Amino acid sequence: MFDDLDPQEFEDTARTVIESCAQAPSAAERGKLLAEAGLLGVIAPEDVGGLGLSTRFAAPILRAAGEGCLAYPLIETLLLSKALADTDAELAARICSGETVATIAWLGTDAGADLGGAPMGCQAEHVLIFSADGTAVLAPIANAVRAVETHSFDIDVPEAEIHVSGAFKGVELDLATVEKLRSDARMLRAAFIHGAAANCLKMASDYAQDREQFGKLLSANQALRHRLSRDALVLETMRNAIIRAQSVRDDDVEMARNAAWLCSAQSGPAIAESAIQVFGGMGFTWEVPLHRHLRQMRAQARYGGAALELDQLGDAIIAGTANPWYAEIADAA
Amino acid sequence: MTSVSPLEAGTPGQTGAYAAQAYQWLKQNLNDRLRTDRCLDQPASLEEKIRFEAAQHRAGLAGITWPKEYGGHGLTLREHLEANREIGRAPMPNAINSIGKELAGPIIMAVGNERQKSTYLPAILSMENIWCQGFSEPGAGSDLAALRTKAERTADGWRINGQKIWTSGASKSSRCMLLARTGAREDRHKGLVLFAVPMSSPGITVREIQSIDGDRSFCEVFFNDVIVDEAEMLGAPDEGWAAASRVLSIERATNRMYRAWRFESELDHLIAACRSDNAAFAIMKGYRRELAQCRVEVELIKGHVETLVDDLLAGQQIGPRGSFPKLYWSESHQRFAQIAYEIVSRFPPGANQALKDLRARMEGIYLSSRAETIYAGTTEIQLDIIAKRILNLKKAA
Ligand SMILES: Cc1cc2nc3c(=O)[nH]c(=O)nc-3n(C[C@H](O)[C@H](O)[C@H](O)COP(=O)(O)OP(=O)(O)OC[C@H]3O[C@@H](n4cnc5c(N)ncnc54)[C@H](O)[C@@H]3O)c2cc1C
Repeated sequence: MFDDLDPQEFEDTARTVIESCAQAPSAAERGKLLAEAGLLGVIAPEDVGGLGLSTRFAAPILRAAGEGCLAYPLIETLLLSKALADTDAELAARICSGETVATIAWLGTDAGADLGGAPMGCQAEHVLIFSADGTAVLAPIANAVRAVETHSFDIDVPEAEIHVSGAFKGVELDLATVEKLRSDARMLRAAFIHGAAANCLKMASDYAQDREQFGKLLSANQALRHRLSRDALVLETMRNAIIRAQSVRDDDVEMARNAAWLCSAQSGPAIAESAIQVFGGMGFTWEVPLHRHLRQMRAQARYGGAALELDQLGDAIIAGTANPWYAEIADAA
Repeated sequence: MTSVSPLEAGTPGQTGAYAAQAYQWLKQNLNDRLRTDRCLDQPASLEEKIRFEAAQHRAGLAGITWPKEYGGHGLTLREHLEANREIGRAPMPNAINSIGKELAGPIIMAVGNERQKSTYLPAILSMENIWCQGFSEPGAGSDLAALRTKAERTADGWRINGQKIWTSGASKSSRCMLLARTGAREDRHKGLVLFAVPMSSPGITVREIQSIDGDRSFCEVFFNDVIVDEAEMLGAPDEGWAAASRVLSIERATNRMYRAWRFESELDHLIAACRSDNAAFAIMKGYRRELAQCRVEVELIKGHVETLVDDLLAGQQIGPRGSFPKLYWSESHQRFAQIAYEIVSRFPPGANQALKDLRARMEGIYLSSRAETIYAGTTEIQLDIIAKRILNLKKAA
């Protein structure tokens, strides 16, 4: 099916599968559907049942997932099936095939008492726990490691808290693997948000061309036309940033990935908020799915620590620059 | 000025090689008087800037994609982008002849005849001919199709009457790319014709207008029974609107491709200069989030530019999509300019030279950036274009 390896085809396949996932009753069922279509192992190596492709091929799948409000820890599954391949091939293969659901506790480390931000932690058998030293352990959810349903902003992918009450064992991931996992996570999240935001803009444009007030279509009003154009600009900015982050070379990669991620984390929710405004009173109803997109995007921004990363970037840039044209300006202290 | 050997044309070389040579050349030739990050009593004169710009072309930094038979270097948009990254990083003055190189040149290449191409194009690159763009009029700004300047065919050639405004660089230009109409004003975009008018023609009066940054770079231009030879018509009458739209789409999409890197360089300058003084550094620290946001936006402009270049290299049309980068860079640069202004405005008196230079530059950038959401089509017009031509939003059921 993926012979000519066209990312677009992945998106089309993913879209169809994700539509059927919306009807599936449990996370395990959805995992099966996704795995059958080969979507869970896109970036995992072939010897664990994956396709061994770059994140460039995962992006269209995540876009479709964002668009379709997928209720599965897809980002976590993709990342773990790749990260585990070297240390526990068997488990990686089970995650790739959808047999085992695994997740990541994005918030907190094992140094604190509780960890949080584990999407679908209560349905998962394993959870990745970050250590304070930058490494991580994939622990089975049992005995010392418990997943507890908690208040969740994202209603499609409920979040769990992870309580650790003693020593636990699991597959260990080293610093470099964890760093790569986090960097890939940024790209996958950006693509997910891009898909969700694109759907919000589409819903808003369709609605504006359907509803009449004052004897004309909403979309005939410049104020709304301009609002939608601004959202289109933001969406295009996000799209180009993601494309660039996947093609840019060497030194610039991390900055480009950060920018694509931060742009999505900030602008995706803004597009959903704008769409809610375009829908008026309807936009504030539970039935119109805009709030589900908004919740999912906000949850991604939180799991990815977007606000903190912007501060860190600020610290890094005021610590100095390497532009040779200003090299003769000496530091004060 | 040192003479330089042109960069080797035609050989693709390894990635970054073109940029490395561009940097070396700039390092040798961009002297203090030309640098825009210095506030000197005696900055470079117009003649010095013109000589510097001509030398840039000889060194392979201008006309990069133009065919060799017209004085260009016959390379691709990829080398153009590479050189522009270095141009952007350097504190260089903006080109005096950017209208010639970025608007008139491409349009002459597209609609001009062979004689026009072989005479006008090399003269643009060598800086013998500086061009201006005579589109806007007092009654026709955003609504360009409302322009009134009239062109009538007579036995001696076309007779032009009317007035243009906001014509950048008109008082230094030797040619004007003029948009005029052959029919009635009600014809809107029909019956518009494009000319290459010699600015020395009798009947042309130019009056400089002072802008908010103290500059006198744009002008009013009056045409009073100006006779323009038939041979100076660019394309056919009635093709004027199509040609003009093309010019504007180029202007929005690819013009000053170095913007993202210039903007990054301005941010670098701000950071480097603030680090030269403890009080300024403390002020800057209070803006670390805003500065991080600016740095992210620089990357996002690069995203617009680089994907656009990829699309162009893949043979795609840009069309209305040129509005996206135009909107994005103009607004994000204004956001940066406002923050930078706020930072420098808080410097204590008696600052060191690096801070004085910085403050002068950032004040200038703040003021001049106000034009960025106006020229090349205002923000509101770009938003209209996106709504109508990209989102295809209906106005009636
Ligand atoms: C520094 C600078 C250099 C320039 N250089 C050149 C040049 O070299 N050659 C040239 O031909 N022109 C040049 N221009 C002119 C420029 O293209 C025009 O200023 C611009 O197109 C806007 O037209 P206007 O000034 O007449 O404003 P107007 O069209 O009168 O617009 C005024 C305000 O109304 C808004 N507006 C207008 N129509 C609408 C609408 N339908 N919906 C909502 N809002 C609307 C505009 O967005 C703007 O905010 C330059 C301008 C500047 C500032």
